[in-house]
Formats: sequence, C-alpha cells, structure tokens
Amino acid sequence: MKRILYIILSIIFLTICLKACIKRDIPPKERLNNRILKTDVTFKFPQESRNVVLGGVDYLQSQAPVGKFGGEMVVSTIGEGPKTFNPFTSKDAVSSSMSGLMFDSLFTISPNDGKVIPKLAKSYETKDGKKYIVHLRQGIKWSDGKPITADDVVFTWNKIILAGLGNTSTRDAVVIDGKLPKVTKIDNYTVKFEILKPFSPFIRLISVQIAPKHIFEPVTKQGARAFDMFYSTNTKPDNFVTSGAFRLKEYKAAQRVVFERNSDYYMLNKKNQKLPYLDKIIYLIVGDLNNEILKFEGHEIDVISLRGSNVAPYKIKEADSDYKIYNLGADTGTMFVAINLNPRRNSENKFYVDPKKQYWFSDKDFRTAIDYALDRKNMVQNIANGLAKPLFTAESLNSIFLNTKIKGHERNLKKAKEVLINAGFKYGNNKKLYDKFGNRVEFDLYTNAGNTEREAIGVMVKQDLEDLGMRVNFKPVEFNTLVNKMTTTFDWDMIIMGLTGSPLEPHDGLNVWHSKGSLHLFNQRTEDDKKDDRFTFEKRLDEIFESAALQTTFASRKKLYDEYQQIVYDEKPFIYLYSPVRMVAVRKKFRNIYPSQLLGITYNIEEIYKDKY
Amino acid sequence: MQILFYILKRILQTIPLLILVSIISFFIIRLSPVDPLAELKLNPSISKETLKAEQQRLGLDKPLPIQYLLWAKSFVKGDLGVTTTGEKVSVKLAERIPNTLLLTIIVIFLTWSVGVPLGILAAIKWKTPFDRILTVLTSIGMAIPSFFFAILMLIFAVKSGWFPVGGLTSYNYDDMNFIQKFFDIAHHLFLPVTVLFTLSLAGLQRQMRANLLDVLDSDYVKFARAKGLSENKVIFKHALRNAVNPMITLLGFEFSSLLSGAALTEFVFQYPGLGRLILEAVLKSDINLVMASLMIGAVMLVVGNLIADILLILTDPRIRAKA
Repeated sequence: MKRILYIILSIIFLTICLKACIKRDIPPKERLNNRILKTDVTFKFPQESRNVVLGGVDYLQSQAPVGKFGGEMVVSTIGEGPKTFNPFTSKDAVSSSMSGLMFDSLFTISPNDGKVIPKLAKSYETKDGKKYIVHLRQGIKWSDGKPITADDVVFTWNKIILAGLGNTSTRDAVVIDGKLPKVTKIDNYTVKFEILKPFSPFIRLISVQIAPKHIFEPVTKQGARAFDMFYSTNTKPDNFVTSGAFRLKEYKAAQRVVFERNSDYYMLNKKNQKLPYLDKIIYLIVGDLNNEILKFEGHEIDVISLRGSNVAPYKIKEADSDYKIYNLGADTGTMFVAINLNPRRNSENKFYVDPKKQYWFSDKDFRTAIDYALDRKNMVQNIANGLAKPLFTAESLNSIFLNTKIKGHERNLKKAKEVLINAGFKYGNNKKLYDKFGNRVEFDLYTNAGNTEREAIGVMVKQDLEDLGMRVNFKPVEFNTLVNKMTTTFDWDMIIMGLTGSPLEPHDGLNVWHSKGSLHLFNQRTEDDKKDDRFTFEKRLDEIFESAALQTTFASRKKLYDEYQQIVYDEKPFIYLYSPVRMVAVRKKFRNIYPSQLLGITYNIEEIYKDKY
Repeated sequence: MQILFYILKRILQTIPLLILVSIISFFIIRLSPVDPLAELKLNPSISKETLKAEQQRLGLDKPLPIQYLLWAKSFVKGDLGVTTTGEKVSVKLAERIPNTLLLTIIVIFLTWSVGVPLGILAAIKWKTPFDRILTVLTSIGMAIPSFFFAILMLIFAVKSGWFPVGGLTSYNYDDMNFIQKFFDIAHHLFLPVTVLFTLSLAGLQRQMRANLLDVLDSDYVKFARAKGLSENKVIFKHALRNAVNPMITLLGFEFSSLLSGAALTEFVFQYPGLGRLILEAVLKSDINLVMASLMIGAVMLVVGNLIADILLILTDPRIRAKA
C-alpha cells in the first residue's frame, strides 16, 4: 500500500516537472523562420567616401554620421587563429582578413553595387582597358612615419607578386596568354599597369595590399623561404610597419589577437577628425561554433553569425535583448549535385564511369528528370530550417551578374517521369526504373562524411530520386577520399558538393567551367587528355569564359555570363539546390552598421563606433 | 652508483622503443586517407603549379620510407621541422606547453593532496557512514564522462555569469597589475580545474583506500596490533609504507599525462593548451606537429615510469635487492 502511494506521488512529481518544461508561448520554428525571411531585406548605405585635400594631404572623408571616439569591439574567429600576418603569404581566410586589417589595399569594393572604389589609392583611370594609371594619395604614411609612394607599389608588384613569392594566386590570375603585366612608376604618386589585351577582372586584381619597400626589400633578397617566415605570428607587434586603420597590439596563441587604433590614419569623418572611432578590435580565437555561441550568450563577444537552427531562439529573444539581427540575404555558397559526364578511359584503359551509367548520365533528359524530381522546398524547410533560398543558377543569388531570367521550377514528379519515358526509360514491376537495354537504373551518390548538412541533403536527394524509381546508394565518405575521387581517380557517379564563388567576378569560376580547368568536375580531363572531345555546350562555355574576360563594359559581360548561366541551367551538369541565408547578430551599442549583401557587417570598421546603450 | 647504472640501462632500453613508436605512428598517419592539401585542391583559384610547389615544400612527392627517414634525421638533430602552414613546430609547442603544465600541475597537486588523505581516512573508517558517503560521491565522480561534465560546467558559467566561458586570460590581461593578473587566471582556471579535480580525485581516493584496506587485513598488521602498538603507529609506520607502492607507480603515469591528460577538457573549455593544437594537427594531417607531440608523449611516459621505478627502489628495500 505504501509502495503504491510512493509510486503515485513520484508520478505526480514527474508530471509537474515535465509540465514546467513545456513552453507554449514559442511559435513553431518554421513559421517563425519564414517570417524572418519575409522581413524585407533593404540595404541602405551612406554616401560614398570622398577624397579631400587638407594641408597638402589627400584624405578619404567618410560620409557616414559622425560618431563618438573610444571603446572596443570584441569579435571572434573560429579555428586556430591566424597562421601569419603577412598579407602576401597568407593562404587561409582568417590570416587574410587579419592582415587585411593591418595593410590597406589600393582599392576596395562598394558595399552597395560592388564597384571598385578608392582606398589607399586616390583614383584610377583607363581608356582602352589595357593601360591603368593609378594615382596615390600624397602625404600619407606607413606606421613608422615613412611616406607611402609609387616605389612601394612598384616594388610590391615587381619584387613580390610577379616574382612569385608567397601565395601565388594573384600572380596566377593576372597571367594573360602567358604574359605578366608591366608595372612602372610614372612619378612619386603615379603608377602605370599595362597588359597586352583588355582583361576586365584586372582592376579588381590590382586592388591588392601594398608592402612597405624599406621593410620588405631586404627580405625579398633572402629568397622564398625567408619570405614565407617573414611577419609570422611570432613577430613582435612593435616590429610591424603597416598602413591599415588598426595595428597589431598583442597576439596570444589560441586565445586572442588584439588590434589597436592607428592614430595617423588617412580616413576622416565629416568633422575632419581622424578615424577610426574604435580604440581596439579584439578577435577571440574560439575552437568551434558551440563555444562561439556560449561566448555570445555570456556577453564576451559582440558579433555572431547565426546559422540554421540557431536563428529562431535568437529572434525570439531579440526584442528584449541588447542585440539586433541583420538579414544579409543569400550567401555566396552554392550547394549542388554534380553528375559525372566523363566518357574517357583511365591509363589502364578502363572507363572512369561504367559505360552503362555513362549512357544515362550523358542523356540530357535523364539529368532534366533528376532536376524536376528534386524537392528544393523540402530541403530548405527541413535542412536549412527555412533559412535558405532555392537555387537554379550557377552564379550565387547575390552575384551582380546573376541571370534573373532563370526562374526555376517547382518539384514535378509527373513531368520527370514523362521525360524519362520519352527518353526510352521504362518502368517495370514495383515501379522500378529500367533503361531501354533493360538495366536497372542504379548509381552511387557521394558526399563528405562529417558535414551534417550535406549528409542530410544526400538522404533527401536519395528519397526524391527513389520516387522516380531509381536506386541510389548514398555513401558519405571522408573528405580527402572524396577530393581524391573528384580530382584524381574520377570514379564517381554523383556527388553533393559546394563551392564558394565570388559575387563580383564570374571569371573566378574559370577553373570550374573551362574544359581545361582543374576543377571541371563534371568532365575532368587530365594533362594527358589531348584529344578534343568536348560536348557542344562545353565548347560554348569555353568561348564565353575566354571572351567575357576581354569585354570592357559591364553590359557586354553581363550578356555573356547570362548565357553561361542559361547553358548550365539547360544542360544541368550541376544541379543546384539552395543557397543559405546569412544572419548576423550585433550588439545594439554599435552604430554606423550598414550590412551589405556583398561584404557582410564589419567591412566599414573605421566608421563603426560604440554608443552608450 | 648502482642506481646510476640502472638509469643508464633503462635509458638505452628506451631507444628502440622510441624508434618503434615513431615508425608506427608515422605510417599510421601517412597511410590514413588524410591529405593536407585536400582543401587547396578544391579551391577554384589555386593553380596546378601552386599545388605542385606545395607538394614539394611538404615533401609529399617522395616515397613514404624516404619521408620517414628525412623526418627522423632532422628529429635526431633536434629539429622538429615546420607545420604545413610554415610555422616552426618547436615554437608552436613552446607557446602551448606552459599553459597545459599550469593546468595539469595544479590539478595533480590538488588531487594528491586531497585524494590520498581522503583514501587513508576512508580505509580507517571502513564501513562507517563517512566511508559510505565518500564511496557514493566518488562513484558519481568516476561515472560522469569528463567532456560531459565540462560542458555542464560551461553551461553553468554562461547561465550564472559568474565565470568566463573558457579561455585562460581576459582580453585586457595585458593592462592589469600583478594581483589582477593572478585573479584573472585563477578565475579562468577554476572550472577546468574543478572538472579535472573531481574526476581524478575519485580514482585516486578509491585506489588509496583499496590499497590500505588490503594491507590492514594482512597478518603483520594484526600482529602489530596484537603487540599493543598504538593505532597511529600501526597505520602510519607499518600499513601505509606498504600500501604506498602502487601509488608510486600511479604517480609515474600521472607524470606522463602532464601534457596529454587534459586534452578533452582543454578542448571543451577552449583552453590554449596542447590538446587543441594537436587535435587540429591530426585532423589536417600536419605530420611534423603530430609526430612531435606523439614523441613527446612517448618520452614523457618512459621518463615517468623511470621516475616511478627509482622512487620504488628508494622506498622499498625488497625491490632494491632485486635491482
């Protein structure tokens, strides 16, 4: 009797506890996320900064509202922190962004429309797209007091970038028909860049950072190894001679990087006071996403990028919190299913792709049917928590070259089946799909294990395609194994992949779309493949990419890049799925925050100031 | 003299051991399908020439045995090589080792100075309520996985706001005076030390208790008691000296875990120690860094055992006679 009483009592206790855990006032996540997405994304920017001359010095005057000086901003970086502070040797995003804070580039990008606008340089002019005259600011200085002149620019280009020291990606990009550009000094504040034929990405490429000649010259003479070690993370902060708005104050491995204000910077506010406003920027080095979230909740950091399922709880709390969430619109990341169209044999004379499968994959109708069978809406809702947009184009949704005429389509299983039947495929018993030779349609779908987002997409793609009667063996494999399959052995059928592109420069995708590119995944050739066996649409893509870079007007380039997106959409070697939407939470005490779809939140760090809140 | 000879013999014995450890770990890392250049290969803006240059720089274009010999040659010379990003391995390790030592030494000091007395006390008060309560508490301590406990502690820090969320120092550490610095570090260390302390305390206390109980049950203790010796003398003079041998062996292992023992907790608390560095190195197949840390681990283990053996010789005449 007593025992029964105990049991009843404990059950009552438990129910009361459980009841307390149920929160009724929180709306379902999906509905909330849909509401977040619908809140219109409007981007407003102050007028562009202007060049002004004061006492013989060419300043850059910010047109943003005048703020208060002082205070600090604490941000975070995920991973192990910077590997170097040398902008010319950095190979990872963290090192590049930190050295970018210390060394200014000649030009930067307008947060509004992606136009090239002046930064360290005052202006540029070009008449024929072959000769670029860059005018530098007079009277601005390195942090050790030496003036920044044309000698520094010419030295940086001829002795570092074009000499192949450090990270060679800029050099690789400016090689045109095997020729390097010529960089010469005209006078102390004027530099001439010359190329053989017009190359429209060129002005963005020459926007790179500039090194102080008097510091870097001795190092460049010691060779590549010494250069790679120069300005490493072990260099004393006082030894850096920089040009940026902030200079290094402290680097503590795996803990933080502290930058302090450069008090003699060339940017002014409207009252002609020297920017930046903030005294310090502190990057906390956090190991993973979860820790970053905890640190934001613990008020240790001021800015955080929110992903998928994290957004809803933050949005609920936003109203009575000290942060504001900004919707930056679709990301540059694109997620796609790649189909292996490779018809060639390997060195052992075996086909990379089973000929039976080749027959399906090379059939445009087969690829179209797959495209129509995929349920992008479902993926957006269930994988990205509604915080993404369906994607149908090869350019990302925030690209200034996006082909807006490609509208995409809903999932249409009926149409997909019709297309397959018209192409000669047959349905047997149990709705299984067979090709016209009677082979069961069955193939492998790979992605990299450990990436939960791609794994979830894989499961959905598998289900969607099995609705078509195909049999899909979904195999998440180790990232390196996957890369090896894509770049060396080519023995795969379909892969779920993501590549990041530039929203400003489709030419960056050359390696993917040109038939000789090193990431031409869907029909990868080795260096020994000399025979011209390009598909018709590959030939046209090659032509487009070769000629679009030579066009000098935006309109003529846009026309060509629109065509390339249409071809990719029609031919479907890659079937695009969705683009995630970026959300960033920033503490309200920071002002002059003008979120940009192209550049993010803290691109105008000189103008951001801290107000009392 | 005899002891010196013994130490020398032991050191010579470790050389083949270290070679074997290095060969096994080198080949296991290299044969795993982890490619330090995988991410570069998938970057559309990286040219083939750059990839080839990177392969040469990292020595990936040579056959495996040659790679091993090159590594071994520079290791013997005392050069630990560079990481895949071109930083010196020795510098990277030197940045982290003091932080890890700070954490582990505090923990070991605390656990031993609390755990051993508690173990003795529990053995003496065997089967009393005190012993039973201690048993329950230590069982809880042993049962909670360290990473889980660490996460609970982190959530506690966030919700209460009493403790910083991980790390070792505040960002304005450099502007503090000495006393503020001391308290800043203590503030940051409190939670990780609590986690590690609770977990290792349990094991140590149980071990000490079991050893002493074992000895207390033996004939010579009964004899000493029968002889009319005071209980204190029985326990501290006769029983404890015999019960302490396994603890010394344990101390040797503690020494080896000085650098590696806290890795999991370090990771959860974002502590700037070796744990995070090595985890990332393994994931990126940063061979020089991984090899250096594995070799340090092996050396620490050997040295720890050596120290324990020497201590045993000093404390136990029976072993001295054998050696």
